[in-house]
Order: sequence, then structure tokens, then C-alpha cells
Amino acid sequence: MLGVKASYLLPADCAQRLVAELQGALDSCADQQRQLERSLRVSRRLLQVWEPTRTPSPVPETKEEDSSPACTPSSQDLEELELLTQALEKAVRVRKGVSNAGQRDRTPSLTSKATTSGTTASAHPQAPSRTGSRALGARPTKGIRRATASAKDYPECRLQTRGDKTQVRTQDQAAGYGPGLRDQAPSSVGHATELFTLKEKGTLLQLPVAFRKAASRNSRLWAQLSSTQTNDSTDATRATKTQFLHKLQMASGCSSHRPCATEVEAHAQSLRKACTLLRRHVQKELAAAPTDWMQEYRCLLTLEGLQTIVGQCLHRIQALQAAVTEQPPGVCLAEKPTQVSSVCEGEVDSSWSPELLLYSNTKELQTLATLKLRVAMLEQQIHLEKVLMAELLPLINTQEPGRPPWLALCRVTYSLLCEGGEQFLTVLRDDPAD
Amino acid sequence: MGRRRSRVEGAARALPEAVAALSRSLPAGPSPEIFRRAKFDRPEAAPVLWQLLLRVLSPLAANNTWTDLAPEAQARVVKSALGSRGYPRSVLLQFPDGSSQGSRELLLALSWLLAQGPLLEQLLAQTRVQVGDQLPQCEALTSPGPLACLVATKSPVDLRLVEWLMGKLRFRWRCLILSQREQCTLLSKIHLYTQGCHSQQSLGHLSVAETEMLRDPESSQQLLHALESENARLEAALEWRRCELVFWQWMDTVLDACSPETPAVTSQPTALPMISEGGLGELESVRQELLALQEELREVAEPRRAAWESRVGGLGQGPEWSNSRKALREVVERELADLQGSWKLCSTPAQPQRPHRLVRSKDGAPRRQGLQAAEVIRTLSAKEDCLKKALHQLQCQCQQELARLAGTLPGLIWVLPPGH
Repeated sequence: MLGVKASYLLPADCAQRLVAELQGALDSCADQQRQLERSLRVSRRLLQVWEPTRTPSPVPETKEEDSSPACTPSSQDLEELELLTQALEKAVRVRKGVSNAGQRDRTPSLTSKATTSGTTASAHPQAPSRTGSRALGARPTKGIRRATASAKDYPECRLQTRGDKTQVRTQDQAAGYGPGLRDQAPSSVGHATELFTLKEKGTLLQLPVAFRKAASRNSRLWAQLSSTQTNDSTDATRATKTQFLHKLQMASGCSSHRPCATEVEAHAQSLRKACTLLRRHVQKELAAAPTDWMQEYRCLLTLEGLQTIVGQCLHRIQALQAAVTEQPPGVCLAEKPTQVSSVCEGEVDSSWSPELLLYSNTKELQTLATLKLRVAMLEQQIHLEKVLMAELLPLINTQEPGRPPWLALCRVTYSLLCEGGEQFLTVLRDDPAD
Repeated sequence: MGRRRSRVEGAARALPEAVAALSRSLPAGPSPEIFRRAKFDRPEAAPVLWQLLLRVLSPLAANNTWTDLAPEAQARVVKSALGSRGYPRSVLLQFPDGSSQGSRELLLALSWLLAQGPLLEQLLAQTRVQVGDQLPQCEALTSPGPLACLVATKSPVDLRLVEWLMGKLRFRWRCLILSQREQCTLLSKIHLYTQGCHSQQSLGHLSVAETEMLRDPESSQQLLHALESENARLEAALEWRRCELVFWQWMDTVLDACSPETPAVTSQPTALPMISEGGLGELESVRQELLALQEELREVAEPRRAAWESRVGGLGQGPEWSNSRKALREVVERELADLQGSWKLCSTPAQPQRPHRLVRSKDGAPRRQGLQAAEVIRTLSAKEDCLKKALHQLQCQCQQELARLAGTLPGLIWVLPPGH
């Protein structure tokens, strides 16, 4: 077997382009992951036991996976942590009396205004580092919270129970642990009476009035914005705008519409697709062997028809190229790819109010979301495939064939370009000397 | 007479009102005074307008990525973005970077953007407060922004690094899918558990943001505040629509004021950098391929046509003959029309561009108005198939190319991985 141990060095310029592309793809994936992680954290917390006073336990965000995991704090972190712990412990000692007095108030009778405003005000203890606050555990943090629980803020954002003034009390502490409950040791939860989960009491929640008002006003305004888009915009305004655009165009010395970059790119993409399909069709047609005059005639007509289509495509390319370089184009760009218009003119997407997307069960939602991700990933993969093709195939052509580095290059290229990097081929030398 | 005068006064009042509405609806709400100063080309208006244009032209600037840029860099970004959108006035594009001159030109550029399309609406939509739950937004995956990092590799790199990076990417794809699955499970649970809580009947349940708002009062305050300020901007945008006419009449005079001073730069073929790099290169390569295909077709079709004509001369030309020829022509035309239609399929957007809110429908409840998930799944699956085919085709193309290269070397045996 050959070429396995040999390595191939990419020339610097080519390497730079490839690594930049791949790094870009990796970064965008990491971004997406971070976003997802953020919403996962919020959702998980919502499904855990709700203790209105409890500060959400911070979970370290996933940064680059390569960097050392967040559970190994630096020495500076540890120092700060030590100082913080001391301060918090002192605070606990000093405030012990206060906290004992205030304990009764912390029972979250969800309808009591005084209580909720007290509990909601709990300043989140801002630990200098995430690891710090995590390592602290729940005990000292609680002390701090009690200390600050007297401030009155956000009176309008209280939880309200629906209908009668049911007090939400979970008698059995164990019952409080819903299916989403994670890494929350029972010892860290102080009072059994404060706990409830979304699963048990979710249907009793009610949105604050102020929010409900703002939200309904918001959706009304968006709807209004969508409706006037097509109806209210008076003809006079439209005419004046068009006139302004025309005048501006004339004053700058070019009278024709110049396509924007996105437009050109979309055209190029659709033409590329056309070219590939046309070529495939031509090959299919040439491979067929007509047996009677009907087939022969049909084949001839198809080939001529294809010729015409190719001519049309070429014509469109010329018109586009001319339009971009500002020479007055002989042909008007009448045919436009559909998705472009919304980018460049925005007239198509006239509705700005959100539409309801109805799903019926978890599995359906998963399929939907996964498909959406997969489509995006395939697009990314196709883009990378093209980049790799453009960079690697010419290298194979210019290298001296047969030597170990060349074989290594072929092997990797085959794997990356034909197998998505998942499989390799084996190269054997059929040595006549053996 | 008096009536006319009051009309004039009304118009005089209308302009400041229109400008004020515009200011309030724009991000960061610039002072209306800026617009008046810009008409007279005052330098003090320029920095604000550069920043505003930056904000308006690049969605990225909204999250403070670009607002820290030096004025020179800001100007460069604005100019290139304007250029790539096809802004016709080259006066602005030729300003030296970082100059504080030309506030009038900047005003013209902003007005051009406003006149081109629903700019205010798009800006509002970009920063819209997300109250409802959505499907993952994957735009970031497919368009690696203009600030793609440049890796400083000055020396040759082992090809295995590329392999390693590809492997890492595949791993990240898998992680993303898994996390997405978990997120869907949680989302659906939250929707189920809060069923019936929403004041709006059509929604039924709470979204994550709404539930989180109830859990954490601080986020509740933030959300409320964000909604209220968005409402204010929306109102301003609606107000602007009512009175923008007078603004456009005023802009006409602004344009008049600057036309004589800045003579038109006549037909310089200025292909803009952003177009020429991406789209134009691709266009040229497609053109070359098509030219080759055209030549190939000509070589095949012309002799066939000639042969056909000479044969047809000997055949009878009854009505039956011409009928069957006509039928054949129609069949071929339809086939080719289908072919032309097929390359438009892949370029149609995968999902509705409209914003959406995920809603879990209750079991057994009557079908509500809205987009059905099953429908979107069908569209996405079609798109996925289409992309898979495209990828497979590229891979086959590479395989052929490599096989051709390998074939030129005797003495080597290529063993393909299983499955081939």
C-alpha cells in the first residue's frame, strides 16, 4: 500500500483560502450552537421546579469546544471565588436575624402582591465568574437573596393564578420534581411549600395585564403596517418617489437599472443549475440510439430545442454582464429569479405579521426543525464541495503523478470530494518486480 | 387667498412632522434637525448620517459588531454596501474614506434606499421583538457574513488539517441536530403544559419567552420595555406613511440643489467589487461552459438536420405525416418546458419568508387557520432531495475526474471503499 504515511503540503495561498472557508463554516455552526444552547438553558429552567426567588443556576455557555472546559477555573478565578465566598458567608452571619424574620414572607402565595414584589426583587448575585457562582452552591446565595428581598420593584409583573386565589403549594416535595428537573439537589431547595413545576401548575399562569396590552397593540400595529403597504400608500406618493428615483438616476449619468449583487448572484446560480441540467439532457439525448424515423426526428427536435435554450441562457448572461458594467444593455432583464425580488425590491413580502405554524406533536416539530437544519447544512456542504473542487482538482493536475505526496493528495481529495470525508480509498502498487 | 395661505402653512408644518416621524421610526432615532442640516450640506450632519447608513445597510451593525468601527472603516462598509445594491451616484462612492463632507450626498443615499422599497418595515422586522417561538433560523449557516475571518497562514499547510477541519464540521452538524431535537422536545412540553393560558384564543399556549417572563420578573421588564419601544417605532412608521409625500417633494428640491454642483460622472464602467468577485466570476464560468455546450450541440445537430432533410425529401408528405410531426413537436416542446421549469425549483425559497410563530394544536381540535407543519415538511423534503441530488452529482463529477487521472497511471490499483 502506498501514500498512506506520506503527507501533502498545500501551497500557502490555497491553504489560506481553504482554511478560511472551513473556519467560517465552523464559526457559523458554533454560533448556531450557542444560540441553541441559550434557548435550551431557558427551556430547561422553565421545566424545572419553579422557585420564584431562586436565582437560575448558571450553566456555562459552550464556547469553542477546543478550549478547555469551563469546569477548570483559572487561578485568578479561584482567588476571586475565595474572596466572594468569604464576603457571602459574612453577609449570611450578619443577616441571619433578618432572614429568619423574612422567611414567612417568602412563601410564594402567587396572588399576594406584597410577597411577589418582595421576592421578585431579589438581586441576582452577580458572581465574578460563572464557575464561581456555581461552585458556591445554594446556601450562601440564599443568604444574600434574603438580605435584598425587601426592595420593591416590578409590581406589575407578578404571577397571577387564574380564577380563585389558589395558593400554589406543593405538599410533597418529591412531587415537585418534574421530568425536566436536572442537577438540583434536594438539599439546595429550602422550603417545600415554594415549589411547583410547569407541568403541575402551568395552566394557572397568566400574563400580566401591561404585557397583554402591549403585545396586542404590537400585533395590531404590525397588521396595520402590512395592510397599508398595499392599500393606503397613495398614488401621489408612489409617483413622487418614482420620479425622485428617476431623477437621481438621470443625474448620475446612467439611465438603466443596474442589478444589485444579490440579484447577479441569484441569476448566476440559476444559470449554473440550468447549465448542469442542459448538459445532462444533451448527454442523455446523444447516448440514445434512435431505431425509427419517429425517434430520430424527436431526437433532432430535442437537440435543436436545447440549442435554442442554450442560446437564450447565453443571451441572458450577456445582458446581465452588460448591465453590471453599466453599458446600456440591448435586452431588458425581464426574467427574474423569484427570490431575488424580495431582496432587492421587497414588494413581494408585504405581510409583516407573523403567521401561525401549527404542529400537532413533538415528533412532527422535531422532523420540521431537523429538516430545516439539514437543508441549511446541505447548502453549506455543497458550497464547501465547490470550494474544495476549485482548489484541489487543479493541484492534482499540476503535480507530478505517481509519487507519494501526489498519492496522498489523491486519496484525501477522493475522500473529501466523493465521500464527504467519511471514507477512503486504498491505493495499491501493482509492482511487476514482485 | 386666505385659504391658499393656510394651505402653504399646512405644508410648511407637514414637512417637520414627516421628518420627525421618519426619525422616530429609524433605528437609533437621529434628530430631525440632521435632515435640515444635510440639505445645506453641513459637515456636522455627516457623522450621524454615516452611522445611520451603516445601521440601515448592515443588519450585523444592529448587534454592535460594526458600530465600534473607525469612521474610515464605517464609510468603506457603507460605500461597498451601497455599491452592491446598485446605488447610481458615484459622487458618494468616490468620497475619501472618513471625510466629514457630503452630508447632502448621504441624505440622498438614505432617501434612495427609502424610495427603493419598504426600508422602514424591513428594519423594524430585523430587530423585531421575538415573543413567539420559532423554528431555528439557519441563515447564518448558509451565508458566512462579509466579515469572514482571514486566517493568517503564510506557510504551506498539511492537507490533513483540511481533513481534520471537515471532520470537526461534520461533528458540529451532528451536535446541532441533537441539540435541536432536545430543544423541540422541551418546546413542545412547555407548549403542552401552558395550554389555555394565553389571552389570545388563536395561540392557546404560552411561548418560551412569555413563560420565562413569568418566571423571571427582570426579563419581564425587559420584554415589556422592548415591546413598548417597538410599538413607538411602529406608530412612527405608520405616521410616516401618512405624510411622506411632502418629504419626497422636499427631496426633489434637495436633488435640484446639488445637481449643478456635481456634474454627472459619465459612463465609467465601474463594476463594483462585491459583484465582480462573487456573481460575475460565476457568470463568466457558466458562460464558458454554455459556449462549449452550444458548440457541441451545433456540431451534432447540423449534420443530423441535413441528413434528416435529405431523407424526408424521398418520403411522402400526406396529412397523416404532418400530423404526427406536429404531435412530436408538441411533445418535445413540453419536455423542454419541464426541463426549464426544473432549474427554477431549487432556487425557490425553502420556507415561508414570512415570520411565523410555532403553535401546538390541541388534539382533536378543529383545524385552525395557519400554516400546517406537514405542508412545510413536504416543501422542505423536496428541497432536501433537490440539494442531495445536486451534491451527489458534484461528487460523481469529481469521481469521474479522479478516475480519469488515475487511469493515466498504469501500475496502480485503486480500491474504492465498500458501497461502490
